[in-house]
Amino acid sequence: MTRIPVPLRLLRLLWRPGAGSTALVALPVAAFALVTALVLVVLAGAMTFYTAPPAEDGSTGLYQVLASLALALMLVPLATLGSSAARLSARRRDERLSTLRLLGATPGQVGALAVLESTLLAAAGAVAGVVLYAAAVPAVALLHFRGAVLGLDALWLSPLAVFATVAGVALLAAASAAAGLRRVVLTPLGVRTRQQPAGAHWLRLALGTAAVLGIVLALSLLGSLGSFLAIAAVAAGAFAAGLAVLNLLGPFALKAVAGRNLRRAATPERLLAARTVLESPKEAWRQVSGLAMASFVAVVAGTGLALMDSAASSGTDDVLVADIRTGVVITVVASFLMVACSAGVNQAAAVLDRAGLYTSLDRLGMPVAAMDAARRRAVMSPVRTVSIGSAVVGAVVVFPLTGIALVVSPLSLATIAAVLAGGIGLVWTGLRATTPVLVRVLAAGHRS
Amino acid sequence: MTIPILRARNLSKSYGPSTALAGVDLDIAPGDSVAIMGASGSGKTTLLHILAGIIRPDAGTVTYAGPSGPVEVGSLGEGARSRLRRGEFGFVFQAGLLVPELTAVENVALALMIKGTPRKAAEPVAAQWLAALGLAGMEHRRIGELSGGQAQRVAIARAQVGGASVVFADEPTGALDSQTSAEVMTALLGATSGRGRTLVLVTHDESVAARCGRTIHLHDGALLNAGSWEPRTLTTSVPAVPAAPPPAAAQQPEQRFVQRAVLQPAWDPMGGAR
Repeated sequence: MTRIPVPLRLLRLLWRPGAGSTALVALPVAAFALVTALVLVVLAGAMTFYTAPPAEDGSTGLYQVLASLALALMLVPLATLGSSAARLSARRRDERLSTLRLLGATPGQVGALAVLESTLLAAAGAVAGVVLYAAAVPAVALLHFRGAVLGLDALWLSPLAVFATVAGVALLAAASAAAGLRRVVLTPLGVRTRQQPAGAHWLRLALGTAAVLGIVLALSLLGSLGSFLAIAAVAAGAFAAGLAVLNLLGPFALKAVAGRNLRRAATPERLLAARTVLESPKEAWRQVSGLAMASFVAVVAGTGLALMDSAASSGTDDVLVADIRTGVVITVVASFLMVACSAGVNQAAAVLDRAGLYTSLDRLGMPVAAMDAARRRAVMSPVRTVSIGSAVVGAVVVFPLTGIALVVSPLSLATIAAVLAGGIGLVWTGLRATTPVLVRVLAAGHRS
Repeated sequence: MTIPILRARNLSKSYGPSTALAGVDLDIAPGDSVAIMGASGSGKTTLLHILAGIIRPDAGTVTYAGPSGPVEVGSLGEGARSRLRRGEFGFVFQAGLLVPELTAVENVALALMIKGTPRKAAEPVAAQWLAALGLAGMEHRRIGELSGGQAQRVAIARAQVGGASVVFADEPTGALDSQTSAEVMTALLGATSGRGRTLVLVTHDESVAARCGRTIHLHDGALLNAGSWEPRTLTTSVPAVPAAPPPAAAQQPEQRFVQRAVLQPAWDPMGGAR
């Protein structure tokens, strides 16, 4: 008889979803499917700029750089979504995992099992994502770039690229699950989250302020250079520095806002929401940091576009500006979509994680609507802070330009603002989608 | 003749093929402390949940003699039972089930805030309750920074801060060692029947049940000994304090309770502190 590794044997034993757990399998699978589909679509779109014959005006290089930039921007929300999905699938079977520990399985075996499970769910989701990608391609093919529609043919990726993406998503899930396990204690008596010290040191504030001053100084020195290339270089530098600043300031800002909200909180839901963010500002930041990037880019790029729009003289420049605008909108929408999904997935996981607590609040007579409002607010408050705050940081970094853009091309900036507002609405919808999970948890509490 | 504060008649409840309760009759007098005992699966938690309006019986009635007249608990809708629970009842669970992100005082104040009390008014009352239960100076600790016995006393404060007429406790000492368990029971009895409120608790522990005014035993969903439901004279060391006025005037009685709790030697508020 061949020896099957212990985790595999355990997996075979556990791989029988019980009644009611369908949604818990479906959620991470759906999230992974979406991740994969988005990656494939974006990759296909970016590839068109690499595979197409070089343009006569020499803009090919610029397009390639911009496409790569858009790809890079989506990596953060993508990784967040991937790890959220991985953690949800790891938590899903908490009780069974601790039972295994009770029965004598080693932490290593149980950990391997959790990682294996997440990987399989991710692989299943990724395969579904390929189908989703195939379904989305006809719509994406209608997008205009370089004065023409992209066309179906340009968007089909090679089988190798598709396979590599599926494998990449599965690997990401495995890595995230392994990283997620470090944050929980798997004991025979249960799985609980490790006590984490609240982060967000004041040092962040000092470093962040210094960086902002540095950027403004650099910009004022370079701002006198009028050429397009100089503006592009400055924008790129400011962009990279801005992102670094956002990452430094993010948790600190969230902690400060939540602290103020805590002092002002008059209702149970506001109190709970503020305390939830304060519990771990870094975690709250991690969940929404993808939005910081997107909002920041939207404002910086939007400003640049507005200026180029008004300065554009030749037809080629017009096309380029329109193309960049399309690219920015796509990047921002995709980022919000991913943050909405990961917020939904995270919340589903959190509700399941705290089923006992929610049941006890229900028994105390706390209305479901209040519990729901509390957990939604705990996400929406950081989302608002981060998207608006990042937009403001973006505007400050390219300050004189934003002011000019606002005057010469208000419509471009209005479009960006509308996209940001729509994105916030998208996250709200993602959270709404998890209300049934809470209702189901409470209903289970009523049966026991 | 006292009117029972809770009157259950012919309660039945099944989960699929298994019968949890089979025709239980029970009267509970106001101010009494009743321990429900029985083996695992005997239906004691189901009985507690039906009495508290958390679940509905398949058959039978539970009548709660509230301040605004008798209420048939089982016939109320989900929302009305939620209101009844947050208005009239208090709960203490085995694992405390306090909100881990909130401080001790916020956890207690939450129960008042759910009822609509402004936070500014809720927190001082909550702090007084914590002090009365021997947790003075620990108001701003988070739940993870408290011992099991201390967390359970926060839960007791949360159950009584709103002036609940009846407190339901499900294995309130189940996770504690015997000495801490005794201290928590002193706090629980002092905060409930010691103040003329009613306590209904489920327990496995004979020594916990012995502290209560009355013990009933369940076996396979049926009562073995309903006994006399009229309150018997307590022989435990619970301070005999008069019933506090209704929760609307919470502030003053709570203050008096604080003083009594501190002055009464039998009521040892610091006993459980680590």
